[in-house]
Amino acid sequence: MHERLSYFVQRDSALHRTNPLTKAVLALSIILVSFLSPWYWTPHVLFILAIIPLSFAGKVTKEFFTTALRLIIPASGFIFIMQALFQPIGETVVFQIWVLDVTQESLAFGFQNATRIGLMVSAFTLFLLATHPSELMSDLTRRGLPGQFSYVIISTLQIIPQMQAKAQTILSAQRSRGLDTESTFLKRAGSLVPLVGPLVFGSLVEVEERAIAIEARGFTSTHVKTSLHEIPDTNFDKSLRWFLVALVVITLALKLWQS
Amino acid sequence: MLEKIKKDFTTMTWVLIPVAIAINIAIGQIVVLLKLPVYLDSIGTVLVGVLCGPWAGALTGALSNTIWGLFNPDSLPWWPVAFFIGLVAGLCANAGLFKNWWKVILTGFFIALTAAITSTPIAVYLYGGITASGSSFITAYLLQTGQDVVSAVLSTGFLVEPVDKISTAMLAFAIVQGLSKRLIARFPRPENAEAEAGNSTTQLITALIVTAIAIALGFVVRNMLAG
Repeated sequence: MHERLSYFVQRDSALHRTNPLTKAVLALSIILVSFLSPWYWTPHVLFILAIIPLSFAGKVTKEFFTTALRLIIPASGFIFIMQALFQPIGETVVFQIWVLDVTQESLAFGFQNATRIGLMVSAFTLFLLATHPSELMSDLTRRGLPGQFSYVIISTLQIIPQMQAKAQTILSAQRSRGLDTESTFLKRAGSLVPLVGPLVFGSLVEVEERAIAIEARGFTSTHVKTSLHEIPDTNFDKSLRWFLVALVVITLALKLWQS
Repeated sequence: MLEKIKKDFTTMTWVLIPVAIAINIAIGQIVVLLKLPVYLDSIGTVLVGVLCGPWAGALTGALSNTIWGLFNPDSLPWWPVAFFIGLVAGLCANAGLFKNWWKVILTGFFIALTAAITSTPIAVYLYGGITASGSSFITAYLLQTGQDVVSAVLSTGFLVEPVDKISTAMLAFAIVQGLSKRLIARFPRPENAEAEAGNSTTQLITALIVTAIAIALGFVVRNMLAG
């Protein structure tokens, strides 16, 4: 349960050296193009021609595929099965399960949708594998994002594992004093209160202390803060970003023109 | 307008948001563990909406789903729904609909309507109506009876959401009533959480009973559809 909330792996690679904003734009444009493109095979081609080469460029191929096996395959596999079974489109019945027709069209539709979702998660995962969250946030802050946003993102990533550990402790403590979490429905619903109560009240009480602590460190100060760590932003990064934005716009135009 | 929104984003708000996101996720996981027929994954979002205003609630919702996407990729595309849940919770609270138990039920109902309406375009466009959630069995059934995709998804939403969102609003209400007045006064909108009529212990107990009834109702509905 105590999951690490940063996927980041430290490597010395071309992808790691790229500016964090460029990587974010890259991930987003892969997702947008796959959803907007009017061509059926776009998500599949993008997976082979963009995601896999990028995972090599980032030297994170092994990590990427373990995450894919753990997260992406179950998520898109489930969507594929649901779509294939329940999508009432198409005439050509391939086979029947109970009253549900699995047609050629619903299989094709499910395959495209599952790949799209898989591609979306892959792009996101790859981005997180090669980008340190603090680096991304400090780059965005330098570009004018209010510092408070960076605080929210970074501290959420820190608080979630703490909170999950706390939930686990409360669960074990309540079970050891005999709380029923497994039997009848009413008992399970009833045990929601002794589990949620301590967790929520405990963490809300800490809010005030934390607010005082960060206010004392100049959280609300509007002065420009200097950074110890310089994040490179080359001309190549800039032109790549514009190229990607143009690509998304072209795909959108194609989509509108086709329909 | 912008100045008014800015006033809601005090240091307390910024500190509450990460905690609220963590609450969303932690409670969502406890509910899965207890195998209850609801999600209850937006209690933190509603809490921020009530205590810190609609825009803070909306931000919490959107960020919550994005960050949850890190270990549950399927929640990622639904961030606009969470955004509107926070927004509507805040608007209802500003209108004084978070002050006693029956008003909170109304708030929960409004949140449910919003969630059903905003999730429809996402479910239809991204997934063609059939999502990875369990309630898609109802959508599939409605599609088999010849309804078109939009109305099938929308009716599923109207059927499923109220139970979940009313329980969510009620639990958030119980939490707010359980917090000390001194702590609530530090947030930007303490007046939203003031209980009217009857003392707060009675309100708290009523809120918990209504939550239990709502969850039980969800259980009955699920059994009826399965059976």
